[in-house]
Amino acid sequence: MIGVFHKRFRGFRIVNIVGLGLLVTLVLGVYLAKTFAWRERNEIAAVELQIRQEALRIRLLQAEVAHLEQPRRIQALSSGALGMSPILAKQEIRPADLQKFARPKPEPVIAAPPSSAPEADPRVAMLAVRPQALQP
Amino acid sequence: MTAVFTPVRAPLAWRTLGGLIWRLEHAFERARAASAPQDSRLRIAFVMLAFGFAFVVMAIGATHQALFSDNRAGPDGAAAPLEARADLTDRNGALLAADLPHFALYVDPREVWDVPATRQALAAILPDVAVKRLTKALTGPKRAFLIGGLTPQQRTSIHDLGLPGLSFEDDERRLYPLGNTAAHLIGFADSGGAGLAGVERAFDKDIRSAAGQGGVALSIDLRIQAALEDELHKAVAEFTPRGAVGVVTNIRTGEVLGMTSWPDFDPNQPGAATDDQRLNRAAASVFEMGSTFKAFTVAVGLDSGVANMNSTFDAREPYKLGYRTIHDYHAARKILTLTEVFQHSSNIGTAKLAEGIGPQRMSRYFAGVGLTRPAKVELLESATPLTPRKWDDDAVASTSFGHGIDVSPLALSAAYGAVLNGGVAVPLTVRKVAPGTQVEGTRVFSPQTSALMLQIMRANVTGGSGGSANAPGLSVGGKTGTGEKYDPAIRGYSTTKQVSSFAAVFPTEGGPNVERYFVLILMDEPHPSAKTYGYSTGGWVAAPAAGRVIDRIAPLLGVRRNLAPKAAETAAAAPASEGL
Repeated sequence: MIGVFHKRFRGFRIVNIVGLGLLVTLVLGVYLAKTFAWRERNEIAAVELQIRQEALRIRLLQAEVAHLEQPRRIQALSSGALGMSPILAKQEIRPADLQKFARPKPEPVIAAPPSSAPEADPRVAMLAVRPQALQP
Repeated sequence: MTAVFTPVRAPLAWRTLGGLIWRLEHAFERARAASAPQDSRLRIAFVMLAFGFAFVVMAIGATHQALFSDNRAGPDGAAAPLEARADLTDRNGALLAADLPHFALYVDPREVWDVPATRQALAAILPDVAVKRLTKALTGPKRAFLIGGLTPQQRTSIHDLGLPGLSFEDDERRLYPLGNTAAHLIGFADSGGAGLAGVERAFDKDIRSAAGQGGVALSIDLRIQAALEDELHKAVAEFTPRGAVGVVTNIRTGEVLGMTSWPDFDPNQPGAATDDQRLNRAAASVFEMGSTFKAFTVAVGLDSGVANMNSTFDAREPYKLGYRTIHDYHAARKILTLTEVFQHSSNIGTAKLAEGIGPQRMSRYFAGVGLTRPAKVELLESATPLTPRKWDDDAVASTSFGHGIDVSPLALSAAYGAVLNGGVAVPLTVRKVAPGTQVEGTRVFSPQTSALMLQIMRANVTGGSGGSANAPGLSVGGKTGTGEKYDPAIRGYSTTKQVSSFAAVFPTEGGPNVERYFVLILMDEPHPSAKTYGYSTGGWVAAPAAGRVIDRIAPLLGVRRNLAPKAAETAAAAPASEGL
């Protein structure tokens, strides 16, 4: 046991070298840990600040949206610019009644045999299939 | 006597520990015996080891604290909530009020290089600040506050000027993004964050405590509020009253779904409004409601057994009660059934019914539905009614058709709810009630009475004075009301100044568990228009607006139209009796 204190390496006692090494390691470790933690905390603080700023921006945007979408303004715009008005009772319809108001399917056009009929104008054929296509 | 010493053998663990300590204590002696210089080295080594161990423990603790401590606030300190007062939202989450960041501008004249240039630049961005005030701040002896409530855009504009001597401080402000919409209900808070009116005042504590934890949801539905305001404003434009009120409630839960008072104001600038504009006529004003009170008299008559649906009342001649004679506004001059008394709004029939009811029963029922005290609602503005000092026969006759008693529109709404929701008096609330909640109340009328009143109210729209409130397929029921106002100048009731109203309920069809809604439109001193043939009674000025409101809000409330024709109902046309 005592012999440990006498052992030397290149003139220095090993126990001193080991102690110094331990001390340096510990100091360096604590320094690195604190530095790492400080950077992390700074990053966290920066992200939190960013979140707060974004949250503020979101609140501002929400307030702006609420202001722009306020019913009085929407109604004034819709009636003034678009000529819209509240729907009447007769304009309401239940989903089950939609079928009654569905546009009837167009009658299928039966093409004449090529031998007995002149060549069909493709524009006319298009109109026959889609009668509403060229309507204004 | 000789004591005998008997050694006690300690347990093995204690003996081992004692042996270790003994060996450690004697280590120095052994070392000294071996070599004297080694003694001090051993001591030094021991002290170094002890300090090293302590240092390792502290290093581990410091590292652990640095890496894993839950200090999330960062170097800037504790994270504060974004606002001092919680947001206010409608029942669907639409924003009604919010604390938003604003900024206060400070000027330090000692750092200002060029006073005229700074003044000119600031005046261009802040036109509301008087030049005199600007000059005083720029030439004063020390740093001074110039203006608060700057928006982030204004702050950026000023900051971008790059002028020395200008600095900003945070200045949170309450903002009401909807402006005048629901202004009286929402109320307003001062710059210090204290609620001064409306919900802001009523829920002040809750709003403060809920800051940063989500909003406070109110009972109103913004869509319903908008439709109510729009139709009320159209009626106001047509009949130019002194004031007007609109209320929509859910009569089962007591929730106020819409409430408006005209004239209104912008809660962002309450100081710019007059007292008349800030007055919440729905809660803080009382009116002699007139014939809308006949619904209570008829309900009391039915509930107390004084009358039934087959009862008749002789309205052929004016009715003398004590020193006064009661007339009908437009006399039917015939014997009326109970429903006809309601449809013709007969004062004579109602007074005769009230006489049978008697003062005690009448006052008890009125108290039961809340007509003798401020409306039960969270709003602190809720006005105290003016009630008869003594409930005698004369008072009973007067109050039976809405004279001699002044109540607020909210009190009237709550009382109608008790008549029509199955007979239970439920307090009104401006706080959202969770769907499916069973609201507790006090039973005042029987469910049978309530069901009969729904029938009578409906009959008044299909064949009575409330015809113009009919909305297709929504089985609207209602009662008109026209109260003459007391005129101090003539020390009597005015024949030209009236309070005209319409109290409506829909749908009247369906069982007791159907969700029903109450709508009140009230005009204070309306003026007749060409369309109303000179009339400004409730049936002419308030009932049409109520009908339009119902027509618009029914789809929003999920009330489906039933357009199948009914044999029992005749098509509603013009008011049958000039709409008293």
